[in-house]
Amino acid sequence: MPYTRSPVARCLPLFVAALTMLGGSVAAQADATLDKIQQRHRVVVGVLLSGGPFGSIDPMTQKPKGLNVDLAEDVARQLGAEVELVPVLPANRVQFLQQGKVDLLIANMEWTVERGEQLGFVPTPFYRVGGTAAVLKDSAITRWEDLKDQPVCTSQGSSYIKPLTGFGADIKAFKSSSESLLALRGNNCVAAVHDATLINPLVAEGPEWQNYRAISPELNPAPSVIWTRPGETDTQARLDSIVKGWHRTGWLIDAEKRHHISPPSPALVELHDKFQAAGA
Amino acid sequence: MTHLLELLVQTAARFGLNYGFLLDAYQRASLVNGALTSIALCAVTIVGSLAAGLLLASMLTSGRVWIARPARVFIEVTRNTPTLVQLYCAFLVLNMLLTQAIGTANPLTPFAWVVIVISLHKGAFHAEALRAGIEAVPAVTLEAASSLAFNSRQLLWNVQLPLALRFALPSLINNLIDLVKMTAVASAIAVGDITYASIMIWTQSDNVLELMILLLAFFGLLSFIVNCAGRALEARLRMPGYAH
Amino acid sequence: MPTDYPAAASISWPRRHPGKLLLAVIVVLWMAFGAPVNPAFVALLEWSPALASGFGQNIVISLLAIALGSVAGLMIGALSASPFRVARLPARIWVQVFRNAPWLVLIYFTTYVFPFELHIGTTWIAFPDWVKVTLGLALPASANVAEVFRGAMASIPDTQWEASRSLAFTRGQIVRSIILPQCFKRMLPPWMNLYAVITMGTALASLVGVHDLIDTAQIASNTVNRTGFTVLIYFSVLGLFFAWCYPISRLTQRLERRYAFS
Repeated sequence: MPYTRSPVARCLPLFVAALTMLGGSVAAQADATLDKIQQRHRVVVGVLLSGGPFGSIDPMTQKPKGLNVDLAEDVARQLGAEVELVPVLPANRVQFLQQGKVDLLIANMEWTVERGEQLGFVPTPFYRVGGTAAVLKDSAITRWEDLKDQPVCTSQGSSYIKPLTGFGADIKAFKSSSESLLALRGNNCVAAVHDATLINPLVAEGPEWQNYRAISPELNPAPSVIWTRPGETDTQARLDSIVKGWHRTGWLIDAEKRHHISPPSPALVELHDKFQAAGA
Repeated sequence: MTHLLELLVQTAARFGLNYGFLLDAYQRASLVNGALTSIALCAVTIVGSLAAGLLLASMLTSGRVWIARPARVFIEVTRNTPTLVQLYCAFLVLNMLLTQAIGTANPLTPFAWVVIVISLHKGAFHAEALRAGIEAVPAVTLEAASSLAFNSRQLLWNVQLPLALRFALPSLINNLIDLVKMTAVASAIAVGDITYASIMIWTQSDNVLELMILLLAFFGLLSFIVNCAGRALEARLRMPGYAH
Repeated sequence: MPTDYPAAASISWPRRHPGKLLLAVIVVLWMAFGAPVNPAFVALLEWSPALASGFGQNIVISLLAIALGSVAGLMIGALSASPFRVARLPARIWVQVFRNAPWLVLIYFTTYVFPFELHIGTTWIAFPDWVKVTLGLALPASANVAEVFRGAMASIPDTQWEASRSLAFTRGQIVRSIILPQCFKRMLPPWMNLYAVITMGTALASLVGVHDLIDTAQIASNTVNRTGFTVLIYFSVLGLFFAWCYPISRLTQRLERRYAFS
């Protein structure tokens, strides 16, 4: 539910910062999202730009590009609105959504039970991925349980922190995957845990990562969904039909190939078949 | 103890502040550990920065160009670049290169890197203050000392440095207070200080304001302690004729 | 001042700084022949417009923060020098709080606690993250400017006050026509020093997700994924900040030397 503060707590930052210009304003509370989108003809989508095929920046134009960006743009196109992309971090994406700064989140955020209770989501997932750990080839770690009491790098706000704490790992959370991977290369942790779509291409390609391997099975493979604020059933239903359309037409599989995402997710093929069979 | 905490949480709740994490043993333990790590970080870095400052100041005033020039270049580079970027370059880049060179024998932990980077950064500021102090020692005193057959090392250690320290003490104390505040950047490389512990808690439960108040109180307290210690030291080291 | 120019002024610049000249020649030769074949350097060139625009964001934040901080700091400094205790006390508290708070904590505070949109009347004004970081930096800037102002006022000898009072100036006239003009000259070097420190403080903006130079460098390093490029880009970030702050610190030193005699 939206985070509400008592009037005293709301005045505290004003008092401390002594910014009188905020005297007449009120913290923004989101309206029914679909109405707001149609009224403003603009949909604000939070996307994760960590570098990599899902979200990064094109150095020529300095504009965001990647699978997350394509999804956001297509959603906007089908809703008949302009898209406004807001880069988010795993540490602040939930807050941005709850505060109303973004209307939707397409941010590599997999569904978990806790998140499903806190936020709203579109029932049909658009991807399915789990976590994997990059470790040194000659390391003793082959299973997730081997990570007990070992330093493990990940990103702040990642959904893998909870299961890793369950395994007893000593979590070192960085602002983004970039620093976490560099910390692994500097031997400050025995493993770096991120989405399999980030780690697998890394250890498969080129000279830099040849001393590393990924462990399997994937940790908590979970569907990636589009997140909305809780209770936004109209928005969720509308987006659900858009996502089903993506699966049915095979557009998502093409987008995955176009961005060279590997390994290709078997879930996309399953869902494509399922929705093609269900109805044209 | 827990009863006291519960009372605290309830009074805070009346102001609309959610301090519930104080009642959760895991989160409370991580905060306490974070506070202890911060204090340890401050203590080690204060000592390290003073040592680095002393070394750099003596290099600067040695009078020999091939010693003074590299010291000056180092000081200018560290003073004119942000600490965070220096920390990233040291921890993400140099550490990675070091590991590639010597493998798993790399002994430097993130804590060690933070200590090294902040000590060198603040050491540059200390060096400037000490250099101004060394140059403020009256020439007459130095001539008198060298006429008593002090060699240049004895001159530095027994005459220049004690006086320079007293002249530079207010600046040094200011720098040390800045250093205490600067240790907050250790959270950027996941060192486990109090700022990092707070970030871990608020990314799970969204009670940023409450944790901010805690952090501001903690750092305010640390700065206050350093300030009081500094003023006590100033009072003890006061010289007749220079007191104000 | 005539005493600044030793006999070395008669020797030309190239002969006075042989080391710097040699270094410049080596760099130019390497950039002309060695660099274009190096893939890390090619990638760096490809990303340099993105880096430049990220650095532009840092500079905008720093300029705005020092402007806001100076305006607020002058008012608070004036308050703290007021003869009335009820005006002095809040100013002293403001200065104490914001000088003792870590800048990182203040930036997290302004970013997470303030709303992202302001509702004034019927319009909604966006309150972007970089503006919040600017406010977060303007707070300690104002405290420091207030202290610098107070120090400058205190460094004016009492005789100025006494002489002007004996000429029947009111307190307001003394401050405005006699004390302040002298203060501004003395405030200039520490103020410029503060500006350099604030520019370095804008690096913290990357930790709250503002799309600045360091954030761009991290995305680039993740996208290109080559060690040589990572090393190069992090050191280029260092170099960019140095290139901006070092001239400011040199100018500050020159101004300090010039005003030391007046």
